[in-house]
Amino acid sequence: MMISVILLLEDCYKDQSDFIAAIDRIFSDIGDPFEILVIANGTGNFFRSRLSEIQGLRNRIRAFEFGNRTTQAVCLKAVLKEVQCDTLVICGSYQQLSADSMREVVGALDDSCDVVSPWRQKRVDPAFNQFQSKVFNGLMRWIVGAGLHDFSCTVKVVRRSVLQEIELYGNMFRFLPVLAADRGFRVKEVPVTHFQERGETGFYSLSDYITRLIDIFTLFFNTRFTRKPLRFFSTIGIGFLSVGLLSMGVLFIQRFLFSIPIGNRPFLFLSLMLTILGVLVSSAGLLGEIIAFTNGRQKKQYTIEKTI
Amino acid sequence: MVLWAHAHLRRILSQWREAYISLYLSIVVPLYNEEESVEALVKGIEETGHRFDFAYEIVLVDDGSTDGTWNIVEQLASRIPYLRGVKFRRNYGQTSAMVAGFEHAQGEIIVTLDGDLQNDPADIPKLLEKIDEGYDIVSGWRKDRKDHFSRVLPSKIANAIISHSTKVRLHDYGCSLKAYRANCVKALNAYGEMHRFFPALASMTGAKITEIPVAHHPRKFGSSKYGFDRIFKVFSDIFAMNLIIRFSSYPLKGFVLSAVPFVVLTAFFSLLGLLAIVLSWTTGKALFFMMAAALCAAAVVQLVILGVLGELVINTSDLTHAHLPEITIREISVDNNQPN
Repeated sequence: MMISVILLLEDCYKDQSDFIAAIDRIFSDIGDPFEILVIANGTGNFFRSRLSEIQGLRNRIRAFEFGNRTTQAVCLKAVLKEVQCDTLVICGSYQQLSADSMREVVGALDDSCDVVSPWRQKRVDPAFNQFQSKVFNGLMRWIVGAGLHDFSCTVKVVRRSVLQEIELYGNMFRFLPVLAADRGFRVKEVPVTHFQERGETGFYSLSDYITRLIDIFTLFFNTRFTRKPLRFFSTIGIGFLSVGLLSMGVLFIQRFLFSIPIGNRPFLFLSLMLTILGVLVSSAGLLGEIIAFTNGRQKKQYTIEKTI
Repeated sequence: MVLWAHAHLRRILSQWREAYISLYLSIVVPLYNEEESVEALVKGIEETGHRFDFAYEIVLVDDGSTDGTWNIVEQLASRIPYLRGVKFRRNYGQTSAMVAGFEHAQGEIIVTLDGDLQNDPADIPKLLEKIDEGYDIVSGWRKDRKDHFSRVLPSKIANAIISHSTKVRLHDYGCSLKAYRANCVKALNAYGEMHRFFPALASMTGAKITEIPVAHHPRKFGSSKYGFDRIFKVFSDIFAMNLIIRFSSYPLKGFVLSAVPFVVLTAFFSLLGLLAIVLSWTTGKALFFMMAAALCAAAVVQLVILGVLGELVINTSDLTHAHLPEITIREISVDNNQPN
């Protein structure tokens, strides 16, 4: 099995040459032929100054650079053209899994699956981070209905065809296994040992939490409703509309059967607002439907495994 | 020299092949967990096929079956040279399976069948006769349906609604046995769960559509793959399809029409507000009417904005269905006044 190892380096971690050396050692030990592609995502001059040292390790290391920091999805899509092997191991900026675990994860990619997602059962990061991570993973299972336990692990093993077929953009890299499963690829989860964690400890910034929640919602919408937006919008819209119309009915009965004055009551405004909101939300769904119909039809909805 | 001659010969051969044995008919069958019925189905198609005086092919689309369907398809393909198989990675639904079948079909005419033996391949020649008469789409009509009442009734209601709302008058939209002129149905690029609406959608292209009664057999193997929640989905699809068919070429018109009630309300509340000021009713009333008028006016503005966005989307799209009718254009002359 030929392996392409892709390292997505972010600028906040500095001692990357050690990490690259460690990765090189792990894969040399595995013994299969491999190449390492390092993507410096906005790490700038620091990375460049260490380049000769890094490439001095082995000449099979190839380095790429994004001057300005971009998303991991863009990095992957860009480097996919350069990849030479069919098995890809994608890693983040530091060694998150132990060497043994790494070997296990890479070995787990066999004929029965297309994506291997590690599950750090025992974690080494602070309890509070673990708690946040648990909440996030739980939300994912609940909202998206994904049967995986660990979405935050930076290591992923995939076949090249998976990356070629799925749409990766924005922050969707994190959800690679879910997107792959949605396109019919088989995903396997492998329990591993957590080696080290270099992320922030404690609370993240507020925008991080909001981004994460929006990401989950994006995934939820993208995997279910991109071809039938009206069903999504009309479910919400009809909810508003029916509550609005119902309360209008109540007001109508009060006014004309019991002669209770309604003109100066907030209830009247509320029902009017809800009715209008319902109509607007449903109409947005109609617009969505038109977009799906005019632009979505060229994109194939299905993936073909083989033809004979 | 030898190489050149060889290439030349091959080119001539392939031209000859295209000219004389081009495929006329492709039979597309979506399969989902149909291991018991595939062989009988292919046998049935072959029995009918022996009587054809033109070349045909069978395209079996395995819609992510979890049983042995694909193995059987592979066996059949090794035995039958004109049988081809397409296997999906997972279950994507009947519409996708049919669309993939259309994509791989090479014939001029495409006939679709259900994989569960409820349609009878012996009806295919009847459909083709109608195609020869000049129709673009011939739909099967299961006049004497052999299904449980609980399935027939919702289907009848859905058919009546589709027939009345889309103005394509057919009795049975759910019947999978249909014949299409390939260019008509390929251009639709259907998605979602549209297969029920192929005739209605194709009518956007100006295709000529008719139906003929076909045989329907009771289910022999397995159970029906329809659940109860389908009914809700089918009805919401009917609604969406109608809106698309009516308004996707004129989104602004659609949104302006839906804004009309709010325009009326705005006028009504403004008038009352003015009256309240002029006739100096109690102070609260003028405020309320003016606010209500403003709310309704805001709704009108929002709807018009959505409509303008819709126009923008259509205008910037690469594939405008406004061009769909170009497919069915045909030259007519005085000698040729066969069924129009």
